Amino acid sequence: MGWSKVAVVGAGLIRFGELFEQSYEHMARGAFEAALGSVDHGFDPSVIDAAFVATQRGTLWGQEGIGGNTVPSAIGLAGIACTRVENACPSGSDAFRVGAMAVASGVHEAVLVIGVEKMRDKSTEEGLLSRAASGHPVYNRGETAPVLFAPFATRHMHEFGTTREMLAAVAVKNHRHGALDPYAHFRNEVTVEQVLASPVVCAPLHLLDCCPQTDGAAAVLLVPATAAADYTDRPVYVAGFGVATDHPSLAEKSTFVGLTATVEAARRAYAMAGLEPGDVDVAEVHDCFTITEILDIEDLGFVEKGKGGAATLEGVTALDGRIPINPSGGLLAKGHPIGATGVAQIAECFWQLREEAGERQVRIRNGVALQHNVGGRGSGVSVVNLLTRDPGTGGGR
Amino acid sequence: MSTVRVAGVGAALGSWRLDPREVRAAWGPASGTLEGGPADRTLAVAGADEDTLTLAARAADRALAATGIEPGDIDVLCWGTTRPPFAEGPSHAVLAAALGCSGRTGGLLCTGSAHAGMEAFLAGVDAVTAGSARWALVVASDAIVPGAGTALEARCGAGAAALVLGPRGPAGVGVRVTRSAPFLEQWRGDGEAATRDVYDPRLVRDVAVLPALADVAEHLRALEPTAWSLPDPDGRTAGALARRLRIDVPERAGTEHLVGDAGAAAPWLGALPALDAAGRVAVVGHGGGRTSGVLLSSEGPVPGAGPLGPLAAAGRPVRYPAVLRARHQLVPNAEPVPMGVPPGSAMHLRGAHEMLGLLGARCGDCGTIATPPSVHPTCPACGGTKLETVPLCRTGEVHTFVVNQTMPPPFEAPLPLLVVDLDDGARLMVQGTGDGGEVTVGARVELVLRRYALERGVPVYGYKATVVGA
Repeated sequence: MGWSKVAVVGAGLIRFGELFEQSYEHMARGAFEAALGSVDHGFDPSVIDAAFVATQRGTLWGQEGIGGNTVPSAIGLAGIACTRVENACPSGSDAFRVGAMAVASGVHEAVLVIGVEKMRDKSTEEGLLSRAASGHPVYNRGETAPVLFAPFATRHMHEFGTTREMLAAVAVKNHRHGALDPYAHFRNEVTVEQVLASPVVCAPLHLLDCCPQTDGAAAVLLVPATAAADYTDRPVYVAGFGVATDHPSLAEKSTFVGLTATVEAARRAYAMAGLEPGDVDVAEVHDCFTITEILDIEDLGFVEKGKGGAATLEGVTALDGRIPINPSGGLLAKGHPIGATGVAQIAECFWQLREEAGERQVRIRNGVALQHNVGGRGSGVSVVNLLTRDPGTGGGR
Repeated sequence: MSTVRVAGVGAALGSWRLDPREVRAAWGPASGTLEGGPADRTLAVAGADEDTLTLAARAADRALAATGIEPGDIDVLCWGTTRPPFAEGPSHAVLAAALGCSGRTGGLLCTGSAHAGMEAFLAGVDAVTAGSARWALVVASDAIVPGAGTALEARCGAGAAALVLGPRGPAGVGVRVTRSAPFLEQWRGDGEAATRDVYDPRLVRDVAVLPALADVAEHLRALEPTAWSLPDPDGRTAGALARRLRIDVPERAGTEHLVGDAGAAAPWLGALPALDAAGRVAVVGHGGGRTSGVLLSSEGPVPGAGPLGPLAAAGRPVRYPAVLRARHQLVPNAEPVPMGVPPGSAMHLRGAHEMLGLLGARCGDCGTIATPPSVHPTCPACGGTKLETVPLCRTGEVHTFVVNQTMPPPFEAPLPLLVVDLDDGARLMVQGTGDGGEVTVGARVELVLRRYALERGVPVYGYKATVVGA
């Protein structure tokens, strides 16, 4: 394809959590500063000529009108080109993709991709749970976020014999990883017994099968690969990406043991990058619920369909496993500030490929990392981004 | 003048079972609840997602199915209920649409007292007699909200009965008689939420109700009925009436011990067991100072007739606080989350028929059925544009499901949500009735009309899946 190679030269985030004392604007500024500070040779913010902001749901803190102008003036970039990207849970990863295209096309020279989300300003009842009363007055009534994923758990258990212990193993692993991540919302480990004994949220999912509600912000800086050396000797390159949509209603799903949007987004990303699942060293995937990670690792091609639960139990996806999944702690432990989530996953991939992830560093063999989100009504949209350490790998010139 | 026949009948009971001893225990001996009927009754009460309209629809569906008459063939729908779902609003039109009646269906809605069930029946008889209707569907239903701590609360049940009237059927409609007297018994003032009970039940029973009932029943006694359906709201009235008339009414001849006082539905629920065989059934109904009696002469079993025991046995035992919550008499101190699409908005206007009639859009190219039609301009499977609106099959199988435990008010947990594969191939995501305990992958389900929400005073109806045989 005729696109110019894009480099990630900086990435930063603020520690995720219940950040009651920080405004949306302060979180954005914090992530931006962290990204600027991460650039090895320094980064003059005045070179940034476009920004893409991922914020999924301003209504969660009472703001209907989050637009492109909300973030630049808050972080000291008033006046620059800025566009808000909203694409459900993959908003952050899609903002990254759009930012990469803005650089790959040659239109922009230096792009900021920033994800910011306030999840805890409103009460849970008025915030995330109020979704139960939105949408179609009958066919969506009662449809909170777990309702979009729990039916897949029920069916996966029915068809493949996946057990609640296997689901719990995802939470146990990701909390173990999160305990090593200074940016994680939760830095405590949990046991299988604790997961199984936690309160039922939406059967068959229990509390510790679910990611928390988290405030957070994350930012990355993109430049043409040809300019990367001005900023760092160790850039990370965009190798390819894919986006796919699926029907928005669960009634229209053809399968409840996989997420069709993920399968198709991954196929497109692998094709664009000329890579295969076996080339991937590490992946940050969408584990909003434990079942989601089991579906992900199957749908992304890392394990055979139906074997995701058993593979997790066997440690295949642990830090030292064949394919380490969610070294950051994932959404389950690190948190899921929706717009920030995908950008923060990119940051984790950046650190892992540069082998600066400290105690949670995985072994990098091929220099390939994969980042994935899936979400929206009916899990109807997925984004997969592929990153590489070697400019000769992947798509783009 | 043509002869009016009863072609088929159907019944429905509130799906919750309440032990009235819980009501008495809650309010104590000084309350009126001790006057609320015999202690060995169990009450059929409306579940949180049921009301007089959903019970009416269920009974009417059963009567039509038993008779083999298509809803589109019903010329008039005569509905009697003490308290319709809207004090003012489209109650009759919503029921007609839910039953699948055509937009040309006539009829009326009788309300205001438990006598409404008799009034609706007599209106249906009149319509067929006058020739303005070939087939009339009569529905009598009630699920009132009784005042808390009253005798009425300790005896109040919920149920519905439906009768298909027309030119043929095993039972004929004979003599009818009505009496009226302006005395006060149970009532609800304008703007009041709960139905009040009379302050001296024995006074009203002995001085006002019994003489009126006796007057009507004496006319029917002359025709030598073989069975009686007599009002027995308190477990004493029917017995006292039988003694006064010197007629032999077997103990528990009525259905109150299975249902409680079902108001407008009571006389017809009481008649259903007797219509299962040849005979002459005297039906007496009373309410709001009015009493009516009618004699049905049956040459054989009326389709759909039979004892109510199996329906009562299918009910789910609940505790008293659940009933209070369902009747909105026990309300959490929290702001309920408003429906994102308010009932007055265009989406409800566009979606009324597809929600009440359970409609889908069938693709002319690949046969896939998508639901609801209003959001599917093209086939989601093949992109085809030749879509035909069709009624969905009402039975199917659970493909997968969840039980949601975490929702803000006004939702109540546990709430089952099911992906159902209907027998016509359509896939649907709907709520389940009950607590989800009986749902399994592969379970057979039936879709029934339920109230999804009571939003800004407006009942919003749709279909829910209920496990067959559970």
